[in-house]
Amino acid sequence: MPESQQSKGLSRRDFLKTSAVASATAAVAALGAPALINSQTLQDPVIYGFIGAGRQGNFHLKKLSVNRMGRCAVICDIYPPNLEQGVKTIGSNPDKELQDYRRVLDRKDIEAVFIVTPYHLHVPMVLDALSAGKHVFVEKVMMKEEDQIPRVYEAAQAHPNQVLQVGLQRRYSAIYNVAIQMVHNGALGKVQFIRAQWHRNGSWKNPIKDPAFDRILNWRLYREYSGGLMAELGSHQVDVADWAYQSEPISVMGVGGLDYWKDDRDIYDNVSVIFEYSEGRKFVFTSICNNASLDFSETIMGDEGTIEITLGLNSAKATFYPEQKAPDAPTNLVKTANVQEQNWWAGATVKNRGRKIGVPILPNAPSKNPSFIEKEIMYARKWLTEMGVLEVEKDRDAIAVEEEHFFHCIREGKKPISNIDIGAADSRSVIFANRAMDMKQKVFWPGKAEVPASSSEPKKV
Amino acid sequence: MRPLRCLSVKRLLLYFLLGVVLIHVFIGWRLQSATALGKKPVAISGQQNSSKEGKERTDPAQKELFRFDESRVSMACTYTVVVYGTDPKQLPLIVNAAFEEIDRIDQLMSNYNPDSPLSQINREAAKHPVVVEPELFDFIQLCLKYSQESDGAFDITVGPLMKSWGFYRGEGRIPWFFEIWNVMRKVGYQRLILDPHERTIQFSVSGMELDLGGIAKGYAVDRVITLLKEYGIQTGFVSAGGSTIYGLGAPPNRDGWEIRIRDPLAPNDTNKNGGTVHLKNRCLSVAGNYEKFFKVRGTTYSHIMDPHTGYPVQGMLSVTVLTDSGVEGDAIDDVLYVLGVEKSKAYLEKHLGIEAFFYLPDGDKQWKMVNLKN
Repeated sequence: MPESQQSKGLSRRDFLKTSAVASATAAVAALGAPALINSQTLQDPVIYGFIGAGRQGNFHLKKLSVNRMGRCAVICDIYPPNLEQGVKTIGSNPDKELQDYRRVLDRKDIEAVFIVTPYHLHVPMVLDALSAGKHVFVEKVMMKEEDQIPRVYEAAQAHPNQVLQVGLQRRYSAIYNVAIQMVHNGALGKVQFIRAQWHRNGSWKNPIKDPAFDRILNWRLYREYSGGLMAELGSHQVDVADWAYQSEPISVMGVGGLDYWKDDRDIYDNVSVIFEYSEGRKFVFTSICNNASLDFSETIMGDEGTIEITLGLNSAKATFYPEQKAPDAPTNLVKTANVQEQNWWAGATVKNRGRKIGVPILPNAPSKNPSFIEKEIMYARKWLTEMGVLEVEKDRDAIAVEEEHFFHCIREGKKPISNIDIGAADSRSVIFANRAMDMKQKVFWPGKAEVPASSSEPKKV
Repeated sequence: MRPLRCLSVKRLLLYFLLGVVLIHVFIGWRLQSATALGKKPVAISGQQNSSKEGKERTDPAQKELFRFDESRVSMACTYTVVVYGTDPKQLPLIVNAAFEEIDRIDQLMSNYNPDSPLSQINREAAKHPVVVEPELFDFIQLCLKYSQESDGAFDITVGPLMKSWGFYRGEGRIPWFFEIWNVMRKVGYQRLILDPHERTIQFSVSGMELDLGGIAKGYAVDRVITLLKEYGIQTGFVSAGGSTIYGLGAPPNRDGWEIRIRDPLAPNDTNKNGGTVHLKNRCLSVAGNYEKFFKVRGTTYSHIMDPHTGYPVQGMLSVTVLTDSGVEGDAIDDVLYVLGVEKSKAYLEKHLGIEAFFYLPDGDKQWKMVNLKN
């Protein structure tokens, strides 16, 4: 095909070749088909209690207020204004519990609990909730200390029929699923570098109505309660890296500082962290609090393409940029002499230099072996989207999907996608990253210290 | 003093240099004053001189008062929040929380944002009942109450009508009669089906749309005022693009927040105004044909539709109302604009505590004002 015809976008052939490696079938099956369909009403809604009606809690309650798969029977929060706001947000006239979350767990009518409290309370509440026979949804990060990890595993194994789900909502985004499938299926070639940032411009401080609640309401600023930027923000993105690389890191190093918001906080206000995985793969994460121009997103880079992806405020967006691999790339094989391709064209051509052509990733990519009709429809949709005629299809709100999935797993007796293994891996990344920054040393995962950090050292021939 | 021509060169030079130094000192002082405002809380002197006779010096035990203000763009207009308080560290945080609340409401109610719950209703409610979160459902119910009380003069279903007149694209166009007739089949609050028990909304006719643009700013202003009060602010000011303004308390040594109403024929001319009001725990709302309009052959077509006829209201320049809340003000200024002066009298008799200023065309490039108060 003459290069001039490619000036407006990818060629139809290249687009179809690229998109075909993304299999939404597997993604849909992994999420559980009902969870991807519009919210249904279960004949038997799950009765739940909600513990922690602060900012994130109200975010959940807003989504839950239109979710008929569950019914909120009680909301618990020790801060009265939060409790009142939570009750208004959910709108189902639940009971209120101001004193003790254990009273929620003692109720026989409650089948499940949402735990959306400050970080330091996650494990104690999870353990109590499992002991009380409840299904548990706990916001990320699941564990705050390394010694909590085996205790939670022990409790989960003692209650195998109870659902334990952690709030890593990117796992429930259809677009993220398609994007990661593309990574696993080789659409980006060899992926060795992932970068993510979560940059904000603000103090993270809430105004106070009652000085007695200052530290409680601003808990994210104090190590006693919080894991800082790495826990509150980076945990989401290191989970994406684990997901893409299909493994945990082997080491981490980083630098954190308190350099701008010099008030009474003791967490860092900026972090720069490098995670190392096997085979020389890296994940680099930064988070700052005095510039928001880059906002939050992940960039997955392989030698044949890049995916830029973000969850956004309501729905995920992702773009794929295919790339020409270097001719002498290690993964390229020199063809033997008797295999030749002849595809030469005569005539003047015009090449677009330096123009990055991106393909929007849609939430419902075709099956792994699309039919002719499927391919034509896909290309037409992509062309109309680029023309601005068709709007890029929206991903469903990932938080709403993860809540539906939680209820679905309870009724169907299934293990959630964002389960204890994912929660524990994510917790380790956060704990070790913070430790590396505090100690100003590289920290290795257990059993990994003897493995060379990088296997890319030149080998003697 | 000797005439200039009699002064020596040296003396002239001296006077000139002295003048330059004085000017620089003056400019520096003014700049310092300007930058001190707005970004850091400014201390208001505790020893203020009162213009009222007999008022003693401020009680020395009274805490120092600070002022903080900030403006940001949201809901396609500039919001300004001003607060007075005694804790300078809290004031910027409170104002930040106020703007976050405005953004939250924008995300909830914007029909320009395809991800908002309102946009979801517009997309799906013609196909099936849509479950709506409590805050939005209650708000839509309140809007219907204003529609019922005004016999449809206020109507949140006029979106398709505004689109047919080109207001969403910002261009303006005059639709054909049959187009208006066709669009009017999709307009009418009576065509909404609300189920309070299930908290669902459904459209009885395909193509309907809800547009909360005429009242969402008032709601945002009310929510900010509530938030400020929750944080102990007793003196403050919130403006949503100048069309909805609430004065909480009164600034120090004043009876209220002084607001000048724009001249309806020269809204951008700061040398002219349509009158002055003082707000103290009151809200001012304006509906004017100069906000969004287009002109064709000398006739001005504004964005304020008469839901009964399908045409922009004619014969009214602007209406300003004083009410107790932003939501009430935003709804009623539209109602009175559509009803006109005579029909508004009957409406106001049933709704106490409202004052209205009607600005009507009066000859060529003139206006007259009619004040109604109950």
